[in-house]
Amino acid sequence: MAALRTSTTRLLQATRVSQPIWRRAFASVEPVGAAGQTTTTANRPVVPESKTSTVKEPVVDKDAKIKSFHIYRWNPDEPTSKPRMQTYTLDLNKTGPMVLDALIRIKNEVDPTLTFRRSCREGICGSCAMNIDGVNTLACLCRIPTDTAKETRIYPLPHTYVVKDLVPDMTLFYKQYRSIKPYLQRDTPPPDGRENRQSQAERRKLDGLYECILCACCSTSCPSYWWNTEEYLGPAVLLQSYRWIADSRDEKTEERKDALNNGMSLYRCHTILNCSRTCPKGLNPALAIAEIKKSMAFS
Amino acid sequence: MASIARPMLLRQCCNASAARAALRPSTFRSITPLARQPLKSQFVRDTLPISSRVAAFHAEGRKAILPPLPQRVEGTTNDPVHIPSPSPSHGSYHWTAERVIAAALIPLTVAPFAGASLNPVTDGILCALLVAHSHIGFQACIIDYFPTWRVPGVRKGLNWVLNISTVIVLIGLYEFETNDVGIVEAVKRVWKA
Repeated sequence: MAALRTSTTRLLQATRVSQPIWRRAFASVEPVGAAGQTTTTANRPVVPESKTSTVKEPVVDKDAKIKSFHIYRWNPDEPTSKPRMQTYTLDLNKTGPMVLDALIRIKNEVDPTLTFRRSCREGICGSCAMNIDGVNTLACLCRIPTDTAKETRIYPLPHTYVVKDLVPDMTLFYKQYRSIKPYLQRDTPPPDGRENRQSQAERRKLDGLYECILCACCSTSCPSYWWNTEEYLGPAVLLQSYRWIADSRDEKTEERKDALNNGMSLYRCHTILNCSRTCPKGLNPALAIAEIKKSMAFS
Repeated sequence: MASIARPMLLRQCCNASAARAALRPSTFRSITPLARQPLKSQFVRDTLPISSRVAAFHAEGRKAILPPLPQRVEGTTNDPVHIPSPSPSHGSYHWTAERVIAAALIPLTVAPFAGASLNPVTDGILCALLVAHSHIGFQACIIDYFPTWRVPGVRKGLNWVLNISTVIVLIGLYEFETNDVGIVEAVKRVWKA
């Protein structure tokens, strides 16, 4: 900075020499020589700006908790420009408690070009999955850290193709989900001709599995999924697969297991356990994968 | 966190050294690509610390080992991904064998030292399982880091390197067991606890 300042003073010195030439000529009734001197015509004292304005300057709130958010920005309309981090500052007293509140407020009040997915704002849709302070989570379930000395950094889900700003491309994820046939497969009609019944114990096996909202936080936190995205299915899809393998009403359990019984689809899981650590819904995809492996151990 | 921070640190180190190299008066400055610097005023270059001259953005590597290819979607977005045909020898049997070998290695490693009896058969089993265990481990590394769809040639070559070296190690251990003292006795002689 100091160097900049010295260089500007040098610039100023350089311009000062040529000032008389650049001096602006005002239209004036006075003789030309007097134009550059005292200009207040009616000897009126200059009214300071603070007394002319009727609008009060916004007072700086002493209790304001100003926090800065560094947000990943990339615009597909400018494909040659590199991704960058843009900083926004918000007063936490005027913002909701969650990161999604902050993002919505930035989009509403500061920068309408900021792009992210959001829908339910209560952790049931899985749209607002992103990497906040290094952890994949749902922005609507993540509280803003109240420590204003630290900045919050928000990135899209890691190792995904980015559509724009915080919007990742989920095409492959959904194609993988489709490959496990996530629906009830039966050949025989139910015995009473009405419903496929299940005991309470059988239903209890699905607890901790059916709650998954497919936000892809776990899959994109898995290093093995980063390396082999094309072939390894990833924890989220495998948890869903186990949800149908464990379902007592499903009759294609063996086919489902056969589809996973190769080197890549399931067995690229090395029990790194990032999935269970990051899951914003508190589920345990690693346990589901371990259950699949256990049930397939001698088949 | 560490995994995110580490490449960034590494890159900053690289950039810092590159920047320092650029500052050094050298006739070859413009030749080395690392020393390429944006055109800046001499004042700015002198006063700013090296760290602030580095505009590192940590989502992008300087030298990515395997840079990501452009996105390619197989079929339409509504088609499922390809489901491989079942092969238990690469899947479930492989996994079970891996666990059995790993579990068997524990008693085999402890037993000769605890029992203090030197048996060439247990010695041989220990050697075979050790080699199998490490072979499977290296194989997993190759499969993880060199995907077939990305670098098929490197993958094939590395698999050959691994297979050949495994065979060489096996031959070497066989020679060691038959003509020398054997692996357990060797460890006993070397290990001064």
